[in-house]
Amino acid sequence: MSAVLKPAMTPLVKLRDLNVTFVTRDRTVHAVNGVDLDVMPGEVLCILGESGSGKSVTLRALMKLLPKFARISGSIEVAGKDVTKMNERQLANFRGTDVAMIFQEPMTALDPVFTVGRQIAETVQRHEGASRSAANARALELLELVQIPSAKRRLDAYPHELSGGLRQRAMIAVALACRPKLLLADEPTTALDATVQIQVLLLLRELQERLDMGVIFVTHDLGVAGEIADRVAVMYAGRVVEEGPVAGLMAGPLHPYAQGLLGATVHAGMRGQRLTTIPGAPPTLDVAPTTCAFSPRCQFVRDECLERVPVLRSPEPGRQARCVLVPYGA
Amino acid sequence: MEAIEDRGGPAQPLLAVKGLVKHFPLKGGLFGRTQAVVRAVDGLEFDVLKGETLGIVGESGCGKSTTARLLMRLMDPNAGTMIFDGEGVGENEQAGGLTLRDYRRQVQMVFQDSYASLNPRLTIEETIAFAPRIHGLSGEKAVTRARELLAAVGLAPANFALRYPHELSGGQRQRINIARALALRPKLVILDEPVSALDKSVEAQVLNLLVDLKAEFGLTYVFISHDLNVVQYISDRVLVMYLGEVVEMGPVDAIYERAGHPYTRALLDSRPSMDPAFRRTKPPLTGDPPNPVNPPSGCRFRTRCPYAEAVCAERKPLMANLGDGHIVSCHMASAGSGHSKAGRLYEVPPPRAEMVA
Ligand SMILES: Nc1ncnc2c1ncn2[C@@H]1O[C@H](COP(=O)(O)OP(=O)(O)OP(=O)(O)O)[C@@H](O)[C@H]1O
Ligand SMILES: Nc1ncnc2c1ncn2[C@@H]1O[C@H](COP(=O)(O)OP(=O)(O)O)[C@@H](O)[C@H]1O
Ligand code: SF4
Ligand code: SF4
Ligand SMILES: [Mg+2]
Ligand SMILES: [Mg+2]
Repeated sequence: MSAVLKPAMTPLVKLRDLNVTFVTRDRTVHAVNGVDLDVMPGEVLCILGESGSGKSVTLRALMKLLPKFARISGSIEVAGKDVTKMNERQLANFRGTDVAMIFQEPMTALDPVFTVGRQIAETVQRHEGASRSAANARALELLELVQIPSAKRRLDAYPHELSGGLRQRAMIAVALACRPKLLLADEPTTALDATVQIQVLLLLRELQERLDMGVIFVTHDLGVAGEIADRVAVMYAGRVVEEGPVAGLMAGPLHPYAQGLLGATVHAGMRGQRLTTIPGAPPTLDVAPTTCAFSPRCQFVRDECLERVPVLRSPEPGRQARCVLVPYGA
Repeated sequence: MEAIEDRGGPAQPLLAVKGLVKHFPLKGGLFGRTQAVVRAVDGLEFDVLKGETLGIVGESGCGKSTTARLLMRLMDPNAGTMIFDGEGVGENEQAGGLTLRDYRRQVQMVFQDSYASLNPRLTIEETIAFAPRIHGLSGEKAVTRARELLAAVGLAPANFALRYPHELSGGQRQRINIARALALRPKLVILDEPVSALDKSVEAQVLNLLVDLKAEFGLTYVFISHDLNVVQYISDRVLVMYLGEVVEMGPVDAIYERAGHPYTRALLDSRPSMDPAFRRTKPPLTGDPPNPVNPPSGCRFRTRCPYAEAVCAERKPLMANLGDGHIVSCHMASAGSGHSKAGRLYEVPPPRAEMVA
């Protein structure tokens, strides 16, 4: 669709120059170093990156869920609201109704001493002021929505009584209780078996379409991104180094790091071949990178890469990468 | 303490496992009486051939790690025998058996959790030298061996020998675990999810390393993983487990290209497609695996199998031979089993996940 015909949409998420630094007595970590991201309503963005690249910190910043000692700068707008300026009361309302989060380990989000039904109903009552019976009805509706078999019976189940896959579904139900516009998902399928992972991915995709939610889905698995993303942002050392529609990125990544990641991901038909690896390890981030952070591991490194942090270049509309080898678009 | 000679010749399996059973009692009730048992491993039978990599796949809880711990003899099986290169493991030496101590020298293990399996108070060098020293190598020789192994796993001894586990990344710690496992010059190494906790770029480094070490030290691997792509990459043969049992086993290409068991097919179809233009639209399996406390009667997969019939609940399927060492336990694979598709296994459409362009 051309930009002219498309009604101007305001992004659901607008992140500009996000920086997050953790300063403690023993060490400083520059976890996020200038992240810009837009997510449109109803769009699924995957943040792809290795452990420590700043995926979770970026996600938590969107909900103002970072510890007090974290130094945060930049602008964070979600659903037209300035998250940085919210007070505790506004935040309590914002979390749940505008944005909700799901995690890898469901027990971090579920309370072990309350039944699943009670937890959902509680959330609905608190946020929407619904009556007890309306909230209970909504809880049942939500368990059915997330396709928990024998939903009615499961309302009375405690989280530990559910299997891993069902617990993940219950957590999704709690997150969706107040129809958030934005769902933040931090590796929700990483700990699951492939057979259960694909079920949860398909469920999330279906719910996202049905409820027209924006989703930011953090993963370190390219295959998972391929199943669920509209767009992918690849993070390295606290920055987005490449961003674009999922198909183009998986077919031909622009940034050497993204290329290395694709080459190192074992997939069918690689038997007998030597795996491509990325030598070395990511930087420790005790200082914020002032060059291309990937340069110590990059086979294409040249002087230019060490002068400053490369700017984003966009060789074609909708795609961009932070590398001096990538041509500027026309 | 040099590598042990190949005794029975190349054709004799390095390890032959028969009727291996491990049940864990579930204690409960007023007097802590045994209420039920978890049938974690329930009659496993397989060979590990000399020089091969045998991959073991299956869903969480199907008994992979229990199998690994049994193979290592970190615990005793309830039943079953293990023959290591012709000698009965844990049997009387006079009767041609192999003592557990001698067995454990030849079989080593690498776990998923690289941190928990290292002693935080020992340096890397001490960690690797520990077992050889216990087994009688002099301190000096043990340290020399530790340094050689550090180099073999790609960590410069000068740089790493005196570090402690917390000073290493996950990938480096896993290299240490591998070096330690090789310190006694074992013949068989059991790798239980050795790369599952690693990032993709590090995973590739460690997989390459495992391939190199296998050639360099003439090793045999049992490689356990829930990542089907990794298992395909590294294995010569693959064993598929479901609720404590073998449901299919065979050469890697047979399993990945001509999987016979409906469970194996569903497992393979659960992999992400790696092509956003062809996404899955229907999951190949619904639900989680049933509880190993009360496995279904007959074929244990029948509660999730799209082809289950009455006979599947009544009788346990026999192991059918599809040729070339490819075996499968499903009534559809055995002519005359009473299943309406008996003997026509490959005619049933695989329960393929539907895809959409
Ligand atoms: N010490 C134990 N006591 C009781 N039950 C156990 C014990 N160890 C394992 N089990 C049970 O035995 C079954 C098999 O466990 P096992 O750890 O072998 O599974 P696995 O295939 O390795 O799973 P995963 O993929 O999650 O590692 C599970 O139901 C598990 O809960
Ligand atoms: N609460 C915290 N205190 C100190 N450092 C933190 C905290 N949370 C995250 N970090 C650090 O910030 C960096 C990025 O973390 P994170 O966003 O969690 O990475 P990932 O991409 O794996 O999700 C890491 O170096 C991590 O150790
Ligand atoms: S900017 Fe230079 S060092 Fe960085 S990825 Fe591109 S070529 Fe490599
Ligand atoms: S024996 Fe029956 S239930 Fe089991 S896999 Fe074969 S068809 Fe399915
Ligand atoms: Mg994270
Ligand atoms: Mg295990």
